[in-house]
Amino acid sequence: MSPHLPTARGKRGQTLSGQAIFNVNRLPCKGSDPFFHGMIVRMLVCTVAWSATALRAADAVPEGPVTYERHVRPILKTHCLQCHGEESKREGKLDLRLRRLMADGGESGPAFVAGKPQESLLIKRLRDGEMPPNGKVLSAREIDIIERWIAAGAPTAKDEPADVAAVHDITDEEKGFWSFQPIQRPSIPAVAQTDRVRSPIDAFVLQKLQDKGLSISADAERLTFIRRVTFDLHGLPPTPADVDEFLQDPAPDACERLIDRLMASPHYGERWGRHWLDLAGYADSDGYTEADPVRKYSYKYRDWVVRAMNADMPFNQFVLEQLAGDELVPLPHANLSVEHQDLLIATGFLRTVADGTGQGADPKVARNAVVAETVKVVSTSLLGLTVGCAECHNHRYDPIPQTDYYRMRAIFEPALNWKEWRTPAQRLITLYTDADRAKAAEVEAEAAKILEERKKKLDGFIEQIFERELAKVPEEHRERVKAARTTPPKERTAEQVALLKEYPSADPQPGQIDLYDHKAAQELKKDDERAAEVRKRKPVEDFISVLNEIPGQIPATVLFYRGDPDQPKQAVSPGELSVLDWLGTAIPDKIEGLPTTGRRTAYARHLTSGRHPLVARVFVNHQWMNHFGRGIVPTAGDLGVLGERPTHPELLDWLASEFSGTAGDSQATVNPWSIKRLHRLMTTSTAYRQASAHTSQGDALDPDNRLLSRMSVRRLTAESVRDAILVVNGTINHKLGGPAVPVMLDEDGQVVVGIENLNGENRPGPIIPLNGEEYRRSVYVQVRRSRPLAVLDTFDLPTLDPNCTVRTSSTVAPQSLLLMNSDFVLGAARQLTERLNSAVGADPNERIRLAWRLLFGRLPTDGEQQSASQFVIDELARLTTAAEAITDPKQKPDPHQWAWTAFCQALLGSNEFLYVD
Amino acid sequence: MSLNLTPASRRDFLSSATFGVSGLAIASLLQSEGLLAAPVKPDLKKPTFDVLPKPTQTPARATAMISLFMQGGPSHMDMFDPKPELNRLDGTKFQGEIKYDNAAQASSRVLGCPWKFAKHGQCGMELSELLPHTANIVDDITLIRSMYTGVNNHGQSIDALNTGKAISHRPSLGSWMAYGLGTENQNLPAFVVLTDPDGLPVLGMQNWSNGWLPSLYQGTVVRPREPRILNLDPPRELRGLPQQRYLEYLAELNRDHLSRHPGELDLEARIASYELAARMQSAAKEAVDISQETEATQKLYGIDQPATKDYGTRCLIARRLVERGVRFVQLYTRYQLWDHHGAIRTALPAACKKVDQPSAALVQDLKQRGLLDSTLVHWGGEMGRLPVIQNDAGPESVGRDHNTYGFSTWLAGGGIKGGHIHGKTDEFGHKAVENIVTHSDYHATLLHLFGLNHEKLVFLRNLQEASLVDKQPARIVTEILA
Repeated sequence: MSPHLPTARGKRGQTLSGQAIFNVNRLPCKGSDPFFHGMIVRMLVCTVAWSATALRAADAVPEGPVTYERHVRPILKTHCLQCHGEESKREGKLDLRLRRLMADGGESGPAFVAGKPQESLLIKRLRDGEMPPNGKVLSAREIDIIERWIAAGAPTAKDEPADVAAVHDITDEEKGFWSFQPIQRPSIPAVAQTDRVRSPIDAFVLQKLQDKGLSISADAERLTFIRRVTFDLHGLPPTPADVDEFLQDPAPDACERLIDRLMASPHYGERWGRHWLDLAGYADSDGYTEADPVRKYSYKYRDWVVRAMNADMPFNQFVLEQLAGDELVPLPHANLSVEHQDLLIATGFLRTVADGTGQGADPKVARNAVVAETVKVVSTSLLGLTVGCAECHNHRYDPIPQTDYYRMRAIFEPALNWKEWRTPAQRLITLYTDADRAKAAEVEAEAAKILEERKKKLDGFIEQIFERELAKVPEEHRERVKAARTTPPKERTAEQVALLKEYPSADPQPGQIDLYDHKAAQELKKDDERAAEVRKRKPVEDFISVLNEIPGQIPATVLFYRGDPDQPKQAVSPGELSVLDWLGTAIPDKIEGLPTTGRRTAYARHLTSGRHPLVARVFVNHQWMNHFGRGIVPTAGDLGVLGERPTHPELLDWLASEFSGTAGDSQATVNPWSIKRLHRLMTTSTAYRQASAHTSQGDALDPDNRLLSRMSVRRLTAESVRDAILVVNGTINHKLGGPAVPVMLDEDGQVVVGIENLNGENRPGPIIPLNGEEYRRSVYVQVRRSRPLAVLDTFDLPTLDPNCTVRTSSTVAPQSLLLMNSDFVLGAARQLTERLNSAVGADPNERIRLAWRLLFGRLPTDGEQQSASQFVIDELARLTTAAEAITDPKQKPDPHQWAWTAFCQALLGSNEFLYVD
Repeated sequence: MSLNLTPASRRDFLSSATFGVSGLAIASLLQSEGLLAAPVKPDLKKPTFDVLPKPTQTPARATAMISLFMQGGPSHMDMFDPKPELNRLDGTKFQGEIKYDNAAQASSRVLGCPWKFAKHGQCGMELSELLPHTANIVDDITLIRSMYTGVNNHGQSIDALNTGKAISHRPSLGSWMAYGLGTENQNLPAFVVLTDPDGLPVLGMQNWSNGWLPSLYQGTVVRPREPRILNLDPPRELRGLPQQRYLEYLAELNRDHLSRHPGELDLEARIASYELAARMQSAAKEAVDISQETEATQKLYGIDQPATKDYGTRCLIARRLVERGVRFVQLYTRYQLWDHHGAIRTALPAACKKVDQPSAALVQDLKQRGLLDSTLVHWGGEMGRLPVIQNDAGPESVGRDHNTYGFSTWLAGGGIKGGHIHGKTDEFGHKAVENIVTHSDYHATLLHLFGLNHEKLVFLRNLQEASLVDKQPARIVTEILA
């Protein structure tokens, strides 16, 4: 090894901790049964959650008295109760669900000796690492708490119920968790800075800030504001004309009117529809296997979401149509009006997850996965709970018993009927009319005629080839070869088979014509083409992909022991989570008067009744997160025990009640569930309008800006990075809706926008022109699971697992490399140069000013103007010299274009362009 | 640029800005600084992926691999696997069973080997005269004469050898290596592919696809021409000084912007990430710049001769990459270079001429630099050829059809025996008959050499465990281990 390379090879072995990539057998494995295997894997996925517990165990042991219900049971629930209480067979006959049952103990004796932790079996087993089994451990803190509890005499908070079943699943403490409580209409707090209160939102925000000795920042400058709110509501930068209009608007309500203008534009739906598609886990392909088949018609659901947003469809309707649009359309689902088509398309929400059932996957595993993943999508997006974690056992943290998980499944199983499964292809409903059908039959008859002629020709060619090839066979064998060939393959004698094997060319097959007679093959090909040409005249058959029920097919939903469909247990009826029993809603097995069960309709109406404690909180929290960069509950997909607590619980409730129209005194009763109204409420608040500059006090007291003493600076989302580039260089194609813009692998194996055109060896053939489709907004680019568009993927496109409740925003070197060197960005910089030239001509100062206006919305300062112009001048001088050195006129570059492209590229890669204040 | 970070802001910085630091690593870092306060609860973040070096499951013999992929199917009985029976029966009718790929051109006449075999090295390994340079390294290689995939088409057999199964769109071997082991040099890709200037192999870029592994693990193509690395090299007009000036101007814009946004760590991190990106560019460029090599070294690889210049250059780049810590390098010969259905008498010697000297040079060079012990070198294609004639239209036209039932491959270094022959084909070279090595055996053995267990290197995919071997029967070929 050369001396200047001392490090690379030597370092091996002293490695940093990587991630868990090896199949450590943490759980007992039941042989190689494929389904069970899949289940184990699912349990392993959950295991990741437990094992990380130790990592964060830095909490102090709680102050004050430790009780069984409040402190000890949650620990036992997480680690022990599944085997020692919840399942019918209790390991070692030990039941830990009540203090007195612990005292009774199991086969080895009482679990504890009150007041004497050192003599308590439970502590011994935990400290020795004997329990839990298989190498799982409790944190030192958790054991400390149990020890303290025993030392204090193992107290309970109140008398334990006589019947253990009463606490089998959910304790009062768990029922009291914040997000399960009814939404209260809090009174609006009085604050000192009344001049900063534009809406009740500000009062709630100011109150928290005041408590910390902080304050809300001054309003952002107008320029900052229009850039912020345009990216927020459209996902696009404001045009210079937008900026001028707004800056010159002297009216005091200029901001409000700007917001109204923005929300009236179709770009609003493109942006906010995309946010909802994250929650839905929208994709244009099935995933699951290598083939990753394209979902040709899924785009209609995407367009439906965008349209619903633009039309400000009330959220209760929005939910109802997505969960049960099919039950709003009379059966049979044929000869559909546009309205009815839309209702059916809306059910695409329940058809987003990866699906291997059409691809030869093990049916039991694949179907079960589709149902399970769909339940996850619904529960994380609408309930903000990880109900899916209760598939194999009671939820480890939240009060969601396993039975609740299956109750939720029962709502969907009549449509996702895993006994009478419909593959993706079988879920399509045709939009063909009777007239279309008649026309198609006519065309097909014409094509059949051509193909009949072709068949006759083919037979003739085969005979000719045979004669020619036969002539090459030694004469003594010819007759026998001939006889062998005319004998049907199944009736051939061994000798005949051997003979044809010896002279394989004497038995030409239709598929081999080209090998023997190229001309004949070409002729046949022409007939094929003619038939294809005729068939092109058939009316195009269009489809929609739906989720619906088949009347009368109502599968019994049963609980699967440990999530294993091979171990079905008791039947379960549809229902809401039992922790929400207080709502008193029943989901009936079957609604009278509907041909289908109506379970989903009932569920949707229940969710949007206005009384549900989670649905409105979860939705307003999501909207808040997308406006402000962080949710009031930062873990927007999990409002359960493991999620974070709301930073502003009263504000969350006020917004939720305002949104759902349950607040008696609010305007919401006029326009309940209006999403646009919610956006207007948030974006017109002082909290939203404030400047983003850090303050020393804010950094000291609230470094993460959870209390909103300023607006947060945010990077553009993946889609906005690409869309903004297309807007500023003038290439954007603002066509709305329609089939997905295809993606393909280019010669270098990068995923780019384009029509896949692979040749016989799977290599890209000539590029097929996209005619401007390549410049469409990112929301319309195909979401193919196996092929995320490189420019979007690099900037943190969400991975669908099965959906995405909170996006991440990273800052990694590949992003810089893409901005520095990719064909996409370089092409965009060249196009921006052209745009500057065609708009303002050659004057460098004008070009620089326009570039600043397009990209940053503002004019450059004198200093910026000067240094930009100096950069271009210097580049030009250097590049002119460089160009002169190139003698070949064909190779001779244009130094002007070089210099300006470099300038434009620097601006496109700059933080001022990529971030919003 | 220096980042003066307060403890609280450092957490933000680490979780958002670091290039390829795994979530777990961050967590342990933060924990060690006592920064993880707050509630006892699991980390529910999705797993993150990186290419940092990973611990192996067992001690590793090999730490890097160079695979020289001979796409098309080199004729083993003309190069590696002498079959006197063929020459004895030359021109006569073949008595056994043959599976033809092209029936129209099929013939059952035996084709003898037109080239002479001789024994070489201390081990006395027999090779044909087409491989005079490989003959010099026989004491360093194990020649496997019993490879088997059993799928008789190029694409499928390549998939079997390269992705574990004869189906498309699976992760390639290099992706698995990058996933399981990470890489030593974070300024270079973990998995590099060197393609031929005359075209991509059959299956094109699928050959280095990450399949369903995270895209981080896909092979990075070092192209046969400049610019050699995608997105790592600026366009011609911006290369070198112009890009530096552009980056300086960009940095000026960003610093100015940052001065208006004091305390915004993400903005600082992005400035740093441009610097890292620029470093990656030069590190990668330096790695593929063979002008730094001595004339003697270049000569060893045959870079001074037209026939071997390109392939030799790529072999030399492969060595430089491995030397700098790249985990897996794969070289492909051009589309169907070895697919000699016809004119084998002229085409095969030409193909051998192209690769023989550079391939041998690579082994010799690695050895003299002390890198051969830890670098596994693979030489082989997706198939061999049939013992009978295809295209029986005169001696200059004859060729051989596909044969995946028995063919030859050699391995060197990284814990592999030297001067060893493993396995055997039948007397005509049609089928492997002794110590058969399937693609799965081959993979299990490779992973073993790298300290990985083929049953335990798994990826959770759609809630199922997937692996390179994916539960096909596989055994570690212990007979070839040193």
